[in-house]
Amino acid sequence: MGYGVTQETWFPDRKQSGAGYALPQGLAPLARHKEDITIVQGLTNRYSEDAHAGSTFWLTGANPHENGAAFRNSISADQVAAAAFGKDTRFTSLQLNGSDKDLAGPGHGQGLSLAWDKSGKPIGGQNSPLAAFHRLFSAENISKEQLQRRLAEKRSMLDTVMEEVRDLQRGLGQTDIEKLDEYFQGIREIEVRLAKDEQWQSVPKPKAPLPQPARDRSGVEEIKLMFDLMVAALQTDSTRVLTYRLPIANLLTSLGVKVAAHDMSHYSPGERMEASQKRDVAHSDLLAGLLDKLKSVKEANGTRLFDHSTVAFGSNLSHVHNLTNCPTLITGGGSGIKLGHHIVAPKDTPLCNAWLTLLQGSGIKAERHGDSSGVLKELMA
Amino acid sequence: MNTRFSLAGVVFGLAVLCSRGAVAAESPSALFPEKNRALLKEHCFSCHDAEKQKGKFRMDDLSFSIGDNRTAELWQKVLNALNSGEMPPEDEKQPAAEAKADFLDDLAKVMVVARRNLADTKGEIAMRRLNQREYGNTLRELLGVRVAVNELPADSNASGFDTAGTNLFMSGDQFEQYLELGRVAMTEAFERHDNAATAKKQRFEAEEGLLARVNKTQKKRIEYRIAFNKWKRAVDAAAKQPENHAVAAEIRKTVRGDFPFHYSWAKIKGAPSPVDFGFTDAVHAEHEGGNGAWTRYVPYTSWFVSQPENLTGGWLTAGDNSVNTYFSFSVHGWPAGDYVVRLRVAASDKVSPQRKFIEFGKGGGNPFKHDSAHMVTGTLAEPQVIEIPLTLTVGGLRTFFVRERGTHDDDHQPNLKQNVGIAENEIGPDFALWVDWAEVERLPAAHPAPGMKAIAAVVGDAKSNIPPAELGAALERFCVEAFRGQQPSAEFLKRLLAVYQDRRTHGENHRKALTETLALVLSSPRFLYLSEPSAGKTAVAGNLTAHELATRLSYFLSSAPPDETLRNLAASGELLKPDVLAAQTNRLLDDSRSADFLHPFLHQWLHMERLDFFRFNNERYPGFDVSTKEASRMEVYESFAHLLRHNHGLRHLLKSDYVMVNGLLANYYGLPDVKGDAFRPVKLPAGSPRGGLLGMAAIHGMGSNGEHSSPIERGAWVLRRLLNDPPPPAPANVPMLNRLEEKLLTTRERLAMHQEEPQCASCHRKIDPIGFGLENFDAVGQWRTEDSYERRGLGRKTWPVEPAGAFHKGPAFANYDELRDIIHSRGDDFARGFSSALVEYALGRSIGFRDVTLIDKMIADAKPEDLAMRTFIHTLVASEAFRSK
Repeated sequence: MGYGVTQETWFPDRKQSGAGYALPQGLAPLARHKEDITIVQGLTNRYSEDAHAGSTFWLTGANPHENGAAFRNSISADQVAAAAFGKDTRFTSLQLNGSDKDLAGPGHGQGLSLAWDKSGKPIGGQNSPLAAFHRLFSAENISKEQLQRRLAEKRSMLDTVMEEVRDLQRGLGQTDIEKLDEYFQGIREIEVRLAKDEQWQSVPKPKAPLPQPARDRSGVEEIKLMFDLMVAALQTDSTRVLTYRLPIANLLTSLGVKVAAHDMSHYSPGERMEASQKRDVAHSDLLAGLLDKLKSVKEANGTRLFDHSTVAFGSNLSHVHNLTNCPTLITGGGSGIKLGHHIVAPKDTPLCNAWLTLLQGSGIKAERHGDSSGVLKELMA
Repeated sequence: MNTRFSLAGVVFGLAVLCSRGAVAAESPSALFPEKNRALLKEHCFSCHDAEKQKGKFRMDDLSFSIGDNRTAELWQKVLNALNSGEMPPEDEKQPAAEAKADFLDDLAKVMVVARRNLADTKGEIAMRRLNQREYGNTLRELLGVRVAVNELPADSNASGFDTAGTNLFMSGDQFEQYLELGRVAMTEAFERHDNAATAKKQRFEAEEGLLARVNKTQKKRIEYRIAFNKWKRAVDAAAKQPENHAVAAEIRKTVRGDFPFHYSWAKIKGAPSPVDFGFTDAVHAEHEGGNGAWTRYVPYTSWFVSQPENLTGGWLTAGDNSVNTYFSFSVHGWPAGDYVVRLRVAASDKVSPQRKFIEFGKGGGNPFKHDSAHMVTGTLAEPQVIEIPLTLTVGGLRTFFVRERGTHDDDHQPNLKQNVGIAENEIGPDFALWVDWAEVERLPAAHPAPGMKAIAAVVGDAKSNIPPAELGAALERFCVEAFRGQQPSAEFLKRLLAVYQDRRTHGENHRKALTETLALVLSSPRFLYLSEPSAGKTAVAGNLTAHELATRLSYFLSSAPPDETLRNLAASGELLKPDVLAAQTNRLLDDSRSADFLHPFLHQWLHMERLDFFRFNNERYPGFDVSTKEASRMEVYESFAHLLRHNHGLRHLLKSDYVMVNGLLANYYGLPDVKGDAFRPVKLPAGSPRGGLLGMAAIHGMGSNGEHSSPIERGAWVLRRLLNDPPPPAPANVPMLNRLEEKLLTTRERLAMHQEEPQCASCHRKIDPIGFGLENFDAVGQWRTEDSYERRGLGRKTWPVEPAGAFHKGPAFANYDELRDIIHSRGDDFARGFSSALVEYALGRSIGFRDVTLIDKMIADAKPEDLAMRTFIHTLVASEAFRSK
């Protein structure tokens, strides 16, 4: 989510850390999952200075000004996970976005999704549930030969433009070569993808565990649909890493809220705060639905999908214009973290410590992530 | 491949450094004024000195000259700690509010300078990808096509212009999109080519089928009404039976406006089902035959049917009456190309001038988005013909509509309009616009675009077989055009030809294979990147060649590739002569395509996306509909264009005795006698608040949230865009002030708390007074002398606008006029902000300390000419910065 939460009614009482805390109003719809979620307070991306940066650094913890840069970013935690878990699935990772398009946008700041690649470039996302459905489950009606032929055609096209890259680069200075390298890397991405397509061509796409949506939705229904698709993608092992950048303008409209999203984020008691709280409850309600699904889906060995997943829900912005105490909700049994707790981390603990804990807990040998200073011991079971 | 990349990198990197080292100065440090040491000494050093270093943070040795990243980071910490109120600790002595505000003001400002210096690119301009709009324009110039490019990721970014190369990324996904758009572009180009001689013309009479259709609806409604009344009476009769008394009383408790008594018919014994009366259920019955439908629609429809003009044309209606709220026509199957739409229309003399505008748009959907609005000056006695240019694209919409302006911007508006009409005459809105007919005609094909000329010999058709030599030559010509005069390598051409041949061998027809091959050219780096390679020479920064200069000039002033004239002047080297360059600059500025420079430049510089951040409340501001909003946006563009056209001074934008308006906007501003859709200068009556940016509806709309004016947005905008004194970015983590809850306050009272906390006051003492001085303009830029605020449960408070105030440590003003005069007197500041933005836009990089000389020169050159617009551009184009990379 791009605009944070309502501080007064989303965070549990700081004095009640541990298991015996009371769920505040903003999290109330999650009551049935209380034993299975953990709320962490005190986490911050310490380099985040601009409240308008939205979700740009949420999963990366980058210092945007490192080495004097006007702007830079680094790899996001999901892509670290994708590098480890993406090898064996059809899709290395999936990036989903809310469909907010016009007006003030979703408040997520720069970027094309929540994901940033290893060179700190934005990774594109899909903002239509319908398109995501087709990508995951719609079979292409072509023969093996046709597919082979198509891959060959594609490769010869890529080779042709690469020839252009080689030729062009001869006359360029260093900075320009670096810029052109982005193009080169882009072509490389496609080549890698083609190799994967080839590897997966004989494997038919899985049968969709949910009906094809008749059309794209907006707001609450859109989020529900995306959540269902996320579960379906995991359930069919189409991918093991997903991010979803939530919509906000659409959500508010569907909740009948008339306040504009950015205005709402600058809430003070009254209409705007009520809108902000309504948004929190809607988020929690939707999240509770997602957890229901994750718990109801059974793996082959009879365990729940939930037990093998890690879900992080949160925002780089805490509330209004505040960047300290990033709202963080972690759930799922996949990374062996302590569930059912309210953790109050020491003030200004790097948010990346939480990401590092989740990465390590999932079996990834990462030593650090972003500006992490270590793992979050309180989070470990 | 990789190895070669990095090797080349090292060598060239050194070369660049050497050549730069000799001429370029090192980054200067940003200096934090020494006077601020006193506050640090008094409040910080006692804990953060060499000895204590509390929190492992030492400040007494912190340099006031911020020239490296580490120092910048440490000062950023200081700034953050002060802003969040974390430091000095609560139980320590706090600095005086005013002193703290001054300190924060200085520190925040010096950090902006320090960041800029540290990010300085040493004047180097990176090669960059075409941005989204340049890419679209380039396809248009190359192939004569109009491809929708908005599926590409947007290139806008928070801090700079969309010409900034460092922000223009590339990815595998995007390459695929370019490939696909390249195919679409070629498909469209071929369709246009194949239809060069096709003639098309069709007229659509508005009356055709209209009355029959409306009469049918009306007949149905009346029948439904009769059936509904019969059913309702039967239900009422049953309810009166003694056995139903109790249940009827129960039902009456549930009755609301939207839940009438007879909805609960099933609970009443003996009541008949609505199905027996021809309805699907009770809701359907109410909807089709109940009072809502009857009172709202039937009298209105009768009135419509009785209009004799509907025999020879059709009245458009306004509202949710579904009678004839728009007139629609289609040209299914017509090929891509340029067309004209003609509308023969008239306006009623019974309606107010506001209603004499017609909207034209493509497609349907709900609500329909229209493309243009047109003033209707024709009368029933003498209708007029309006001509609207139209482009049909491959896959684009072939259905069009016209409707009354501002009647269907969203789902809510028709209802509002209907209610306005009902309030006036109890029936519905008067008929305002009458359409006789619409006509669509294909225009003769323009001269083939250069890219199509290059392949004219091999376009052929699907069945063609082209000898490889001929095809190779055509591909080469096409590449030269697509690459803006650069020659493709022999190897690339060879591979292109192989791609084509391979597809042919596998059974693809000529057109398909050619499309794929050319789409590949349109996705290759030399097309997508504005590269400035020094082919064969040492790759060092230096002067642009004539060709490179032509490209940079053309993309600067028309966001499109150099045309034939520029390319010829580049080939002969003439373009490098200062007088030729100046003449070409003027030629490009005179061309209508300079709008492709001016509009996006202004949109970004003036931060005009705020105009689209929210929907304006059309219940509260019915006059500021989408068409008016678009006209107000155009006013900003046209005001600059007017100055550019006539080389007038920049100061007119701060205050002028005229406005650039068309008929629609003149109507909105209450200026009489402006007819038609073209913008032109109109002299203002004495005492008008209009004239200059501060009198424009768009600027005030941007300084609002669609509902209320926002003095903060407006004040900050004036400081940023007009006075070149931008407040630093709003800091994060400032403690919230929440005590003014649940009270009805005036805007000034609400914002008074900004002055209490020094963290807020450091900026808001500068911002807010300017914003208050503009409070006479409401959220949609109309003049007001009163403002009010309403809160559910608390009621409404109204207060007189009090614009008087003073600049922080500056002159006082009693009202808007005086405020505007003060801003007008600061034309040089405005010119500096304008120049900086222009340099940043033109060079595609953020400006640094090295650019100060250029900016000074731009202002100095323009000053004797009263800050004439073109002079800024001429000085910039002639500068070394513009002519080198």
